[in-house]
Amino acid sequence: MSAALLVRALRDPASVTTLDATGWNGLIAAARAERLIGTLAFRLAEIAVPPAVQPILADARTDAAREARQALWEADRAVQALRPLDVRVILLKGTAYAAAGLRAGQGRFIGDLDILVPRDRLSAVEQALIAAGWEWVKKDAYDDAYYRQWMHELPPMIHRTRDRMIDVHHTILPLTARPKPDAAALIADAEPIADGLYMLSAEDRVCHAAAHMLADGDLQGGLRNLWDIYGLLAECDPSLLDQRAAHHGLRAHVQQARRLALALYGDGARLTLWDHLVRARLLARDGWGRETRKALVFAFFLRSHWLRMPPLMLARHLWTKWRKGHRPT
Amino acid sequence: MDNSLSYRRDPADALLSCALEDLTLLYHRRSGQTHMVISPVPELLDRMADGATVTAQALHDRLAQDFDLGPADEALAEIATHLYALAALGLVRPA
Amino acid sequence: MNHALTLRIGPATFRIGAAWPQPIAQLQRLYAAYPDVTGQVADFTVRLQPTSMVRRWVRPSIFITGDHGLADAAPMSLSHGLLAAEMGMNLQMALGWRRHLLLHASSVEKDGCVLVMTGESGSGKSTLAALLGERGWRFMGDEFALLDLDSGAILPFPRLVSLKNRAIDVVADTVGQAHMGPLLAATAKGDIRHMVPRADAVARMGEGAMPALLLFPRFGHAPDIRPVGQGEIFMRLTQASTNYVALGEPAFVALTRFVRDVPARAIDFPTGEDAIAMVERLWEERA
Repeated sequence: MSAALLVRALRDPASVTTLDATGWNGLIAAARAERLIGTLAFRLAEIAVPPAVQPILADARTDAAREARQALWEADRAVQALRPLDVRVILLKGTAYAAAGLRAGQGRFIGDLDILVPRDRLSAVEQALIAAGWEWVKKDAYDDAYYRQWMHELPPMIHRTRDRMIDVHHTILPLTARPKPDAAALIADAEPIADGLYMLSAEDRVCHAAAHMLADGDLQGGLRNLWDIYGLLAECDPSLLDQRAAHHGLRAHVQQARRLALALYGDGARLTLWDHLVRARLLARDGWGRETRKALVFAFFLRSHWLRMPPLMLARHLWTKWRKGHRPT
Repeated sequence: MDNSLSYRRDPADALLSCALEDLTLLYHRRSGQTHMVISPVPELLDRMADGATVTAQALHDRLAQDFDLGPADEALAEIATHLYALAALGLVRPA
Repeated sequence: MNHALTLRIGPATFRIGAAWPQPIAQLQRLYAAYPDVTGQVADFTVRLQPTSMVRRWVRPSIFITGDHGLADAAPMSLSHGLLAAEMGMNLQMALGWRRHLLLHASSVEKDGCVLVMTGESGSGKSTLAALLGERGWRFMGDEFALLDLDSGAILPFPRLVSLKNRAIDVVADTVGQAHMGPLLAATAKGDIRHMVPRADAVARMGEGAMPALLLFPRFGHAPDIRPVGQGEIFMRLTQASTNYVALGEPAFVALTRFVRDVPARAIDFPTGEDAIAMVERLWEERA
């Protein structure tokens, strides 16, 4: 199982010195599939690797540097666009880690720009972004109504000329999810980074990453989320984190994320039965980078929708999606 | 276009430039974007290289030291338009 | 995966896995003269997998993916498996290669200098490179020319030449059936047949050379030769590159140097023979 190789290489970089070509091919395929190749390249920077592997890792480091530069540029553009509004731009996830130089940001793949703003300023933010060249990705009325009614963010927008996406959040979980994080507290306790940019407090960063991974998804990209969490945990105070997680209604999620992060990337932890299932899902990838254990993967896809929505709403949502030809893969 | 707006160039927005016949290519390191521009844009950016905050009027006066710009109000409007467009690209910043 | 092969083309190594034996067997035959890199670490993984469990056996349908893939890539019939493998390798290069600036162009070399030809599909750049490769030029590639970021040299990427429709017979008559792959009839791009590059193209596939002439060919028009402005050349080359943006500043430096240093012409021609005559003349007149 190459996902297991990937986890081992991240936990113990020196372990790669025993790999043969088949092992390396599996490790590289898994790291690319999990979008952890840049992170892996940083972790292996000091390790002697075979000559054929060196350029692959060097390319990954170059790509990661460009990702970070582009992400910071998008953040800069958003700050410029929102300057007249006097709204704090709170960066979430990868862009925040890169801007603040956090360990979780090293080599990290960064896709869209995610920002958090107060819910009562959403429409002003939306207008300012549209004036600065962002536009809606989809014109589909169903998806739009779905976002506005139930989600924790505006429908995704893309910049007309730069072709980069922005997700504007007003809280960190969909409104249909069971936990209801305190968005006002997230915003009030945000920390400045530089140049008008903010990020969540150290404890809230873990709460968000855990919520994103365990309460709001089918665990796609879970190994990367968990690597983030492992790095973020080192930056916060355990008892403050526990209080904060309880305040947001995310105590169980944060505790589970901590157990999984320590079990996979750290010194180990006692896992529950449910943890073992999640772990099996996270490691479901073969030596060609393919997802294995299709039934387990599909179970988590259903669960992720269940987590966000009451059952009747779920049925209606899946029906609308499937009628349009969408299939979980 | 509002001629009273002022702009500046940030050192972080440094450009790499290359002239190709009558065009100038600008590589903006911070965004990773390549821009293709023609006169008077390179001249205009050149005269903001010191990082000072300028209005269209101030920039007009700087350019007028080296070039014949023709009627002042037309030249001023053109400069203001260029500054606005450059700010949208992130090559200059509203001050 | 059940069937697999590792291939090196120019500087890149591919590990190709398939759910069926046919595409791998065809690759093995056509790439027989290429270096044996079995069991080495590959730069890229390519997967030819069934679109669903059923599609492995019933009307087999190939989904092309790998390290880099497109979620909405149209599935292909198993009878076009060779094309699927070639497309899979192209996809990895286009989306993942970072060691050179990738130009969607064909290239041939003579006397230590490279002729680069770029244009849309159907411009005739592939056929022209294949024909020149049979007439005293060294064939370097029909799909990607790799521009070295430091030296400015063009490096070869001599995969199989992909010939389409009318070009198939023109080239097959010249090189002989032994050097040709199976006819892939009625693909999305029409009929396709692959041609194995000559032995010297394969033997020297690690050897680059400096570019000396850039052409923008256009097949099917009255003969014409036009100069092209440097700004337009730069624009067209950035559009013909899938990794210009990803490479950033080094790509800007390398490409502007290429545009300033390499003379360029747009050429229109009605037939391959006309094109060859025009190319040979421009080559003599260059510099």
